[in-house]
Amino acid sequence: MTSVGTPPAAPVTAEAPMRRLDRRMIWVDAIQMVISLIPTVVALAVFKVEPRPQVIWPAALVAVLGVVTAVNDLFRWLKTRYRVTPDRVEVRTGLLVRSNLSVPRDRIRSVESTANLKQRLAGLRVVTIGTGRHASAGEATIELNAVRRETAEELRRLLLRGADRPDDATVLAELRWRWLLYNLVNIWAFLTAMFVIWSAYWLLNNFGVELDTWVLGLADWEALGPGVTIAVATAAVGLIGVAGLVIGFVTEFWEFRLTRVRTAAGTALRTTNGLLRTREVNRDDNRLRGVHIGEPLFWRWMGAADTAVISTGLAKAGMGAEPASTILPRGPIAEALRVARLVLGGDDRPFEAPLRPHPRRALRRRVIWALNTTGALTVLLLWLDLTVEALPGGLWLAGPGVAPVAVLAAVVAYRALGHTVHGRYLVTRSGLLTRSTDALDRSAVIGWKFRQSLLQRRLNLVTVIATTAAGYGRYKAPDLDLHDGVEFADRATPDMLTPFITRIPPRR
Amino acid sequence: MTWWTLRAVIGGGLLTGLLAYLTATLPDARPWLGPLLAAAAVVSLVYVGVMPAVRYRVHRWETTGEAVYALSGWVVREWRVAPISRIQTVDTKRGPLQQLLRLATVTVTTGSAHGPVRITGLDQDVAARVARDLTEITRRTPGDAT
Repeated sequence: MTSVGTPPAAPVTAEAPMRRLDRRMIWVDAIQMVISLIPTVVALAVFKVEPRPQVIWPAALVAVLGVVTAVNDLFRWLKTRYRVTPDRVEVRTGLLVRSNLSVPRDRIRSVESTANLKQRLAGLRVVTIGTGRHASAGEATIELNAVRRETAEELRRLLLRGADRPDDATVLAELRWRWLLYNLVNIWAFLTAMFVIWSAYWLLNNFGVELDTWVLGLADWEALGPGVTIAVATAAVGLIGVAGLVIGFVTEFWEFRLTRVRTAAGTALRTTNGLLRTREVNRDDNRLRGVHIGEPLFWRWMGAADTAVISTGLAKAGMGAEPASTILPRGPIAEALRVARLVLGGDDRPFEAPLRPHPRRALRRRVIWALNTTGALTVLLLWLDLTVEALPGGLWLAGPGVAPVAVLAAVVAYRALGHTVHGRYLVTRSGLLTRSTDALDRSAVIGWKFRQSLLQRRLNLVTVIATTAAGYGRYKAPDLDLHDGVEFADRATPDMLTPFITRIPPRR
Repeated sequence: MTWWTLRAVIGGGLLTGLLAYLTATLPDARPWLGPLLAAAAVVSLVYVGVMPAVRYRVHRWETTGEAVYALSGWVVREWRVAPISRIQTVDTKRGPLQQLLRLATVTVTTGSAHGPVRITGLDQDVAARVARDLTEITRRTPGDAT
């Protein structure tokens, strides 16, 4: 990959001294360690809770964890040096394994500054610098944990090439509280609730309160019968989960704002959000290659959509954080479309273009697969039924039972299919659980793949895959008619395939 | 083709052999290992018998001044095209079996993680020439490869 342009002269001296992380992080760790021990100490000393192993062990664990974290952070502080030179960012770190990381500044794609509560209180920020590497390689980001707030601000301005003037920012979208609705119904609700209940159980256990006995004492569950009990339990867990999600959503997307800001090198899309953990991501518009809108199946009736940019060099989904490519929280599809239009700019409106449906044979392929799968499942269950005695007879009936669902899924998947070439963009849509519509800049396509399985050859279908350096790296239009598929690709990138067109033969 | 046959024989042989060994040593598991062994044997045989010939018949490749093109696969066929201007690296690789048979695999990667064009089982000299030519053309073709 060749570099694009040279970075403008930055306000740093050529031989900038190596800098350290902020020493306040060590105090923060020490204080946090003490605080995390308080509940247990209070429980033991003030309430005279008898020191049972259940109480001691978590406390000891917390203490050990705290000490390890503190020592670890101390060494990190001692051993980490970083500096920003006019064309590179260098980080040296590591106690046992020394590592030198040096990244050219024109490879920097995003700068995030996050802070959790304790770091906020101490005026610290964790700066995460995203580079053009793939996240899977484990070298996608440089993390400076932690620096002073002013330093973080300075780094951000520096690394994203010069100061941007705030009056140049155009607001593309701001948080509407209505969006909260779209984020409430979620399978995570139950998992969150489980986690909350589990934590509460152990915390209260420290104080000698038995949560389970308390719940059992609330009502005469025996008399209500299992049906009501299950209903009440589900409702309660669901309620706690929804509350958890509300809190999560509010803290994450507090003051969410998507703006297009002017930078020295052009323009960039910036999102800022977060109450306790502030996050700011800048995405260089020069790297923008398209927009992705995903509509999850079970929320399509309410028109929920996730919006993300397709861009080169943004880190993929990380642990516990939204991927940097996401530019809007889940919200109504109309809003997603509006933002997509603003983000892409220009006169093309790829998401409003009518998509060409795929041939009926694509539906046939899906139904055949649905039936094959249910058939295989039935045979497997039947075989298990016959050989394993412990299983109840008639289990195999579950196989045919799945068939209608599978066929329905096939129809849904077929109806999701679509593709077109619209202006500068090629648009593909597919997906069962998440119907994703992707508009990709045609000039970003760097190759094509055409796939045909045995069945697809029989049905004269082909899956056309456009490969690109941006986003997921490939965007596919499954099951086009063979002739249409080649034509689609040729129309999207007129020069690329022409020499091969006659040689990509319609086999059978 | 010999290479695919060898690979198929080794792969199928290992699987079947392992299952046969397990069947012989674990009498308790025979009721369900037996059928599995039979299935593995049949599949391996078909694989060895059919796959190399089909692959040999299907696989095609071509490089021009503008693009690299390869067709591969046997059950699932895949055409891949990458324009020269988007090529980032050209690798030539030879495994132990390929060295024995004087073969090589040329891998042409582009900026996308999903777009490498792989030309397997080339004659070593041809592979070296292709790699050299591609590198040469790529160097002459300007532009950012993303």
